[in-house]
Amino acid sequence: MVDLFRTVINFISILAIPLMIAIFLGWGFFKKVRVYEVFVEGAKDGFHTAIRIIPYLVAMLFAIGIFRASGAMDVLISIITPLTNLIGMPPDALPMALMRPLSGSGSLGIMTELMKVHGPDSFIGVLASTLYGSSETTFYILAVYFGSVNIKNTRHAVPVGLLADLAGMLAAVFICRILFGV
Amino acid sequence: MLNYIWLSLIVIALVVGVGKDINDEVRNTYRNGTPLEVMFISSQVPSGTATRCEGQFYLTAKQFNDFYGTSSQLEEVKQPAVLSLLQNKTGNFIFACTEVTPVLWKDMAKSASGSDKLTGKVERIEFSDDHGWAKATIVMESIRFVKLKAITQAAIDFANIAVEIAIGLIGVMSLWLGLIKVAEEAGLVKVLTRLLAPITKRIFPDVPPDHPAIGAIIMNTAANMLGLSNAATPIGLKAMEELNKLNPKIGTATNAMVTFLAINTGGLILIPATAMAVRAAVGSTNIGIIIGTSIFAAGCATITGIIASKILQRLPKYKRELMDDTKKLEEINNG
Repeated sequence: MVDLFRTVINFISILAIPLMIAIFLGWGFFKKVRVYEVFVEGAKDGFHTAIRIIPYLVAMLFAIGIFRASGAMDVLISIITPLTNLIGMPPDALPMALMRPLSGSGSLGIMTELMKVHGPDSFIGVLASTLYGSSETTFYILAVYFGSVNIKNTRHAVPVGLLADLAGMLAAVFICRILFGV
Repeated sequence: MLNYIWLSLIVIALVVGVGKDINDEVRNTYRNGTPLEVMFISSQVPSGTATRCEGQFYLTAKQFNDFYGTSSQLEEVKQPAVLSLLQNKTGNFIFACTEVTPVLWKDMAKSASGSDKLTGKVERIEFSDDHGWAKATIVMESIRFVKLKAITQAAIDFANIAVEIAIGLIGVMSLWLGLIKVAEEAGLVKVLTRLLAPITKRIFPDVPPDHPAIGAIIMNTAANMLGLSNAATPIGLKAMEELNKLNPKIGTATNAMVTFLAINTGGLILIPATAMAVRAAVGSTNIGIIIGTSIFAAGCATITGIIASKILQRLPKYKRELMDDTKKLEEINNG
């Protein structure tokens, strides 16, 4: 069942982009849109959007970068560790959960390390890959998406994003404990 | 809020960095200036007047741990090194970090004068009769301010990475914006939005159900679920641009934008491709078992995000931030 689901989804993700290109352009041609000119017209904005993100991304990545380099993460982890025991989360998996919203490459490294040390099919291994797979790099997305339209006052976006991350983390611990727990 | 989090990341980094460096200085973690007794095993027997001598430093794990006051080194140290000696008595040494280098020395080398190399002085060396090995007393170069140097390096590196990421987006960004423009002109986006209108109307009540923003949001979510991050980001940015056209106060996030980002950061996914690839790489016997758990966790996160955005947007504080200018604008229009 799971394997069938996986095959189907894999198939769709391989087909998706060629299919979208074919449908978009085919439908456009059928509807007598001047496809080449319209495509170029739309593509023009690509450069400006990408350039507009730069200051926001520099601000965000540099702050997260020096935070990681300073070793502040270790300090944070030692403060929070007592709380993880309450929800039944192994302390080894805490760095993963804390790093996930901050840095994609950082959390990828932690996940790989955890799986190498504890084994990919151990409880910690499954939990780490679930934490990675079920979440996005919240602060990166905030910087890029809001940066692209020059939004500086993000209002409630940060608390909302962090609440969602917290819920995702709790849900991951919960489901992994039920299915693969000790 | 982002202001405070951003600033605290930086302040915490600096405070912790300085604190750790002071701690290193007080405890002399790197044993600056302290002579270390090592065995030197030469790989080539130096002739009488040779000044250059290759070989390796040898220490047992216990000697290493006792000297640095750690317990991290588990195997004996066999560090290849090059000595340059004056009359076979004193001189300098240098070594590059390799796989066999102890972790502590690797960390020291990161903030040493040469990149990934450690240098130092040979205070005394006594060769055996056949010059095959020697007893040496060495002093490593002084290592200070490890964390502050790392912070400096990270600040510069990550500023560059940010630009690389943004520049790297130009191509795919242009490709997808071009394709979407064609789809819009052809009326394809409208078909999509009409299909999902019953759902999107509830999640984004502020956005007209047939607005191009809704189409981009749907396509972005679909791309994210399939793990097509190359397509998802450009389409997501397109959605932000369209949402911004409805923004009464430029530079401030609207309710719809925050809800959209909640869906996006919730990480709704059907196939966690990267996590599964890593699992396969480290030898998992069942890489697919995280599909179900990921869908569940991401679903919980997304639903929480949407609900939280709907509740928080009612708070007077956040309402005011968006309202002020709307009222002003209305007054200007009416007047």
